[in-house]
Amino acid sequence: MESSEKIGSWEAERMGSVIASEAKQSQNFITSHLPRFLPLATRYLINSKGGNLMKGFTLWFTGLSGSGKSTLSKKVEEILLERGMKVEILDGDVVRTNLSKGLGFSKEDRDTNIKRIGFVCHLLTRNDVVAISAAISPYREIRDYNRKLIGRFVEVFCKCPIPVLAERDIKGLYKKALKGEIQNFTGVSDPYEEPLNPEILIESDKENEEESVLKIIRTLELMGYVPSSGESEYSDEEEEKIKARLKDLGYI
Amino acid sequence: MRKLLVIGLDCATPELVFDRWLDSLPNIKKLTQKGIYGKLRSTIPPITVPAWTAMMTSHDPGMLGFYGFRNRKSYGYDDLYFANANYVKAKTVWNYLSRNRLKSLVMGVPQTYPPKPLNGAMITCFLAPNKEVQYTYPDDLKYELDKAADGNYIIDVEDFRTNEKSELLKSIYLMTERRFKAFRYLYKKDSYDFAMVVEMGIDRIHHAFWRFFDKNHRLYEPGNPYENAIFDYYKMIDQEIGKTLELIDKDTSVLIVSDHGAKTMQGAICINEWLIKNGYLTLKEEPKKQTSLKMNMIDWERTKAWGEGGYYSRLFFNVKDREPQGIIPQENYESFREEIKKKLEAMTDEGGKCINTRALKPEEIYRECKNVPPDLVVYLGNLDWRSAGSVGTGSIYLYENDTGPDDANHAENGIIIWDLPKNKKETYSIYDIAPSILRYFGIEIPGEMIGESII
Repeated sequence: MESSEKIGSWEAERMGSVIASEAKQSQNFITSHLPRFLPLATRYLINSKGGNLMKGFTLWFTGLSGSGKSTLSKKVEEILLERGMKVEILDGDVVRTNLSKGLGFSKEDRDTNIKRIGFVCHLLTRNDVVAISAAISPYREIRDYNRKLIGRFVEVFCKCPIPVLAERDIKGLYKKALKGEIQNFTGVSDPYEEPLNPEILIESDKENEEESVLKIIRTLELMGYVPSSGESEYSDEEEEKIKARLKDLGYI
Repeated sequence: MRKLLVIGLDCATPELVFDRWLDSLPNIKKLTQKGIYGKLRSTIPPITVPAWTAMMTSHDPGMLGFYGFRNRKSYGYDDLYFANANYVKAKTVWNYLSRNRLKSLVMGVPQTYPPKPLNGAMITCFLAPNKEVQYTYPDDLKYELDKAADGNYIIDVEDFRTNEKSELLKSIYLMTERRFKAFRYLYKKDSYDFAMVVEMGIDRIHHAFWRFFDKNHRLYEPGNPYENAIFDYYKMIDQEIGKTLELIDKDTSVLIVSDHGAKTMQGAICINEWLIKNGYLTLKEEPKKQTSLKMNMIDWERTKAWGEGGYYSRLFFNVKDREPQGIIPQENYESFREEIKKKLEAMTDEGGKCINTRALKPEEIYRECKNVPPDLVVYLGNLDWRSAGSVGTGSIYLYENDTGPDDANHAENGIIIWDLPKNKKETYSIYDIAPSILRYFGIEIPGEMIGESII
């Protein structure tokens, strides 16, 4: 079975008007297809739902400019807020205008910037806030440093090939970078080290925004970081009881 | 910071609240004098599910994809499900408020079970099978409720069909008092931007006691002991509202709404008996006594339509290549629907007088029709009659409801009272509530909401 296709159809059902049995099947599907975006190391967490819920964690987006970090982080923020969680986003572009104002794009400055973001995420996380970082964060070593510092850390790798990003070029940066007009541009004239074991892999050239958001939320639910939106169905006995009650009340 | 308190009174009826009893309801009256009040036009059908969810999402039942409590999951004959919160895919007011970091207390709003997480707290509704299940969010909240209610928190009255009317009356009072007590306890304990409680008691008391007070009801007896049961209960509700209003600060606006109204019930039309008599429905064998219609009793090869009971009726057609043993050719679907619609609308009472039934086509009343809509939505006698699904009744007309005594049917207009807006209209729309609430909090009204803000 081709996973990406199935996720697409699951998505369609979910967003449309899902009915009970289909929802159940989808859930089974997503569990059985978990490895695609959830590495072995984190799968054991799935059964430990209760203890994790409503505690802080850091959702760390990493990926090249234009790969969807900011967009996805905002969508995820909305859903987590809707579910009653405390959430803050540390967006790379925004952070550089305040927390890291004045820092440049040398390796040293980049590391300082990402460490600062990591430090704030750490403070938020230990106070049961969901901290979402949306910065390129190109160096594996610094990301892993933050992972170690924070502990409750979920890495989302927004993977997208440079030609696709250059084609999209939402901020018009790739054109300039490829012409050499911007120096130290990650992925073009500056290194980007891909995560080796991200908890979540987003391939924005292969999936749409809704699918990506759903994948992130679903993984967070399965890891027990986010309360599930709940799909529990009535047992047969409960259903009979409800039926009797509604009949009594004259509704049916 | 602006706050909003919404008090929902399921089935509160404009004719009673505004036309007859307003002077005896001082707290409600005070609110009507501050802002606007009027009728609130309900959904089609005007039933608790889907009406409250339609109010909280500003989506019509077709857009929501459920047309009543029980809905067809597929075009199979016996494939029905209960539309609980799992089937609500549209965003509710508190979803938007949570997204905007505003905190909500949501209590007793129908179709909120099973509870979904939100920024705030939720106590779900009578679709919770019992108190053992998770019916609050957060889960722990349920352990606090009984204490907050000063006794066993009652989700809904049990044993509604009893003939022990005084016991029933007591339990309705108890349920209401405890719900308001619990609500006030929770409301006081924390600070909420938006707080909403829906009390079901008015609906329950209407259905159970209407015959005792409505002089037009055929069973009304002057001087009966329950003559004032409904009136007294409205006064009690007004007092509970008064006690609740003592808690609010000057930045809190108060909105009172109901999902539909009530009116006297003439009786029930046995819709399936009617279909049998008109040659649209054939049973394998004639039932010897009154019984509810089971799908396996139907001779599908000789059946074109069957119907559901309830405060209104839904008709389903047996269409070729759609239903498992369908016989109506698809090309004849529309002409068949017209034929049966005309006959339904010409239906008379036993005296031969036309009862003004309305048969509505879902695609003409809804913006879209998600999932499996009924083929016709039928207001028997324009809701003066309810629909009974039973067969073997020997008559189309039934004067005791097939599922027990019932005195009132639902009416299309509920109520709205809001101490804020200035532009008075006679009738408002149930779809205008959600956009108005968002506007109140300065949140952009999403394009998919079909109503308009009244503020």
